[in-house]
Amino acid sequence: MNFDWSVVGAHRDALAAATGTTVLLTVTTMAIAVPCGIVVASLRLYAWAPLRAIATAYVELFRNLPLILVVYWAFYVLPIATDLRLSPFATGIAALALNVTAYNAETFRAGIGSIRRGQLEAAMALGMSRTQAVRRIVLPQAVRRILPVLASTWVSLFKDTSLVSVIAVTELAYVAMQIRAQTFRVLEMLTAMAAIYWLLGYPQAKLVDWIQRRYAVTE
Amino acid sequence: MTFDLSVITDHWRFLAYGIGVTVALAAASGAASLALGFVVALARLFGPRWAKHAVVLYIDSMRAVPVLVVMVWTFFALPILTGLTMRPFAAALIGLTVHLAAYAAEIYRAGIESVRPGQTRASLALGMSRAQILRRIVLPQALVRMLPAFGSLLSVTIKDTAIASVIAVPELMRQSETLAGQSFQPIEVYSFAMLAYFLILFPVTRGVDRLYRHVAHLGRS
Amino acid sequence: MSRRAKENGAKIIRYRGVTKRYGAFEALSGVDLDVHAGEVVCLIGPSGSGKSTLLRCTNALETIDGGEIEFEGAQLPRDERALREVRRRMGMVFQSFELFPHLTALHNIAEAPRTVLKARRAEAEDRARAMLAKVGLSDKASNYPAALSGGQQQRVAIARALAMEPDVMLFDEPTSALDPETIGEVLSVMKALADEGMTMVVVTHEMTFARRVGDWVAVFDAGRIVEQGPPRQIFDAPTTERTRDFLSHLGWHGATL
Repeated sequence: MNFDWSVVGAHRDALAAATGTTVLLTVTTMAIAVPCGIVVASLRLYAWAPLRAIATAYVELFRNLPLILVVYWAFYVLPIATDLRLSPFATGIAALALNVTAYNAETFRAGIGSIRRGQLEAAMALGMSRTQAVRRIVLPQAVRRILPVLASTWVSLFKDTSLVSVIAVTELAYVAMQIRAQTFRVLEMLTAMAAIYWLLGYPQAKLVDWIQRRYAVTE
Repeated sequence: MTFDLSVITDHWRFLAYGIGVTVALAAASGAASLALGFVVALARLFGPRWAKHAVVLYIDSMRAVPVLVVMVWTFFALPILTGLTMRPFAAALIGLTVHLAAYAAEIYRAGIESVRPGQTRASLALGMSRAQILRRIVLPQALVRMLPAFGSLLSVTIKDTAIASVIAVPELMRQSETLAGQSFQPIEVYSFAMLAYFLILFPVTRGVDRLYRHVAHLGRS
Repeated sequence: MSRRAKENGAKIIRYRGVTKRYGAFEALSGVDLDVHAGEVVCLIGPSGSGKSTLLRCTNALETIDGGEIEFEGAQLPRDERALREVRRRMGMVFQSFELFPHLTALHNIAEAPRTVLKARRAEAEDRARAMLAKVGLSDKASNYPAALSGGQQQRVAIARALAMEPDVMLFDEPTSALDPETIGEVLSVMKALADEGMTMVVVTHEMTFARRVGDWVAVFDAGRIVEQGPPRQIFDAPTTERTRDFLSHLGWHGATL
């Protein structure tokens, strides 16, 4: 049993680029999924019944499907359904965004819904318009509740980017496993892959803890 | 574009086998992670200092590393280290369990810590031992509070079994991949897979909601 | 000032045949009541008898299904914008205080003057400080609600409503959620307000307060006013069985002041 850890160093450029892709996937997906999540949450909270039902169906659907299946489905079905030829990267983003938007929508909806009605009433009793009351009283409180959950979703998303490796997006998992296949240094490459995820993910997890402590809600 | 369902009906046994493996893997890793998670939680709450640190490191690591990576490493790398050969199902089971147990441990811990200290004080005043208090007073209340989180974890467990397809475990995702590839009918096959997963998962999440509403009052102190 | 003298004052609020339904349940079944300028009107009665509902209909947090409510001579408008104007002239204090947890005591009070009255920040904060002094909490200006006791929070809530310089103050069981020790501090503030001549409508279970500070008491039961009159009548010589029942249930056995 001999190990050759130099293979990791030899491929550090490829690994670095792959890590960058992972980060890019995460950032791009969140950039899409936060505004879209707000839209869907608003539909669920305020739109008329048919739109509300569609929004709810969307959220329930994507919360009850494995992400890896959504990735495959996006890869095989989207081109046929939409006549677009998307790159694996774009397909990966599409699948991830569809998934995370649903979770975000639920987070936003629950966050806003958790603010007691009395707060809105007290604001309106003082003569504020509904818009003013929501903007100055409800939303600031909702944001405090939403932020920790959003941070947690971010970390999950970061890990889930590994799943788009199955459609050959050149992120960390895919590239690491390619190198493993080429060099046959299985233990070294897989351990390196795990280590890189750990090095990036561990601080993020700790950051989420800090955010949750700081924004802990005391009634 | 026509929807040709015959590919599903012709190979229903193949797909049903996949569903069976999915359920088996979910149940086995679910049960195992509940057990392991409990031990880990106890170690964190009541164990010696070094155990607490080890546990926190373990839990945070599982929060940092994707399930895919854990499963792949368990299947390909662990055998090299240990010299044992590993079957895909076993590797998936071990990988999933180790990953999920970390989350289960956190749920146990949060649940136990959320029971008011007054409950423990009252029990001590009555002369109960710590073990008795945990078993008869704190855990029953805590378990009720943990239900929603565990329900959520069960949902995640079922969804994560699909990742085992990457290490060739013949669960539903893998079977669907194989069938889609051979039949050149990915739309029908993957749509079926989506329907199947949804029909399995949706009742689980709804059922947990219902169950919790039923027993929520038992957990309030 | 006795009730008789205040009767000659303007009618600030008039309720005529006010009805309110929640589905099949009738919360208010034809309520008639007048509130004159400078009066303290106390609404008492069992839980669920409609007292709080009437209060919430007064500033249109709920809409009535029948009858009419007049405020300062005009019926409550239906238009949301006009309603906001009306709400600015009414102050409401809630049982659960409903202070804004993300703002300090000072900013809680200054918020509405800034947002609704478009007052400048310095001006709003000066007014807020004055209100805080009025309720005896000047030293708590930079505290967040979570750091205040229940009684302190309620006093800040009163100051918050007063900062809008309302013509009438509506109190919805202001002391029901308070510890016995802190009830007194809130009632003192309310009494001082009454002495200054503020028109007040108070839903309360504090019978001693109603007896001492109230000018007019209305007894509610099942959505109706079963008896109304000066405190002396209601508490010492009630004319209806229901009132007698209600008071004796509370352990009230005639004037003991």
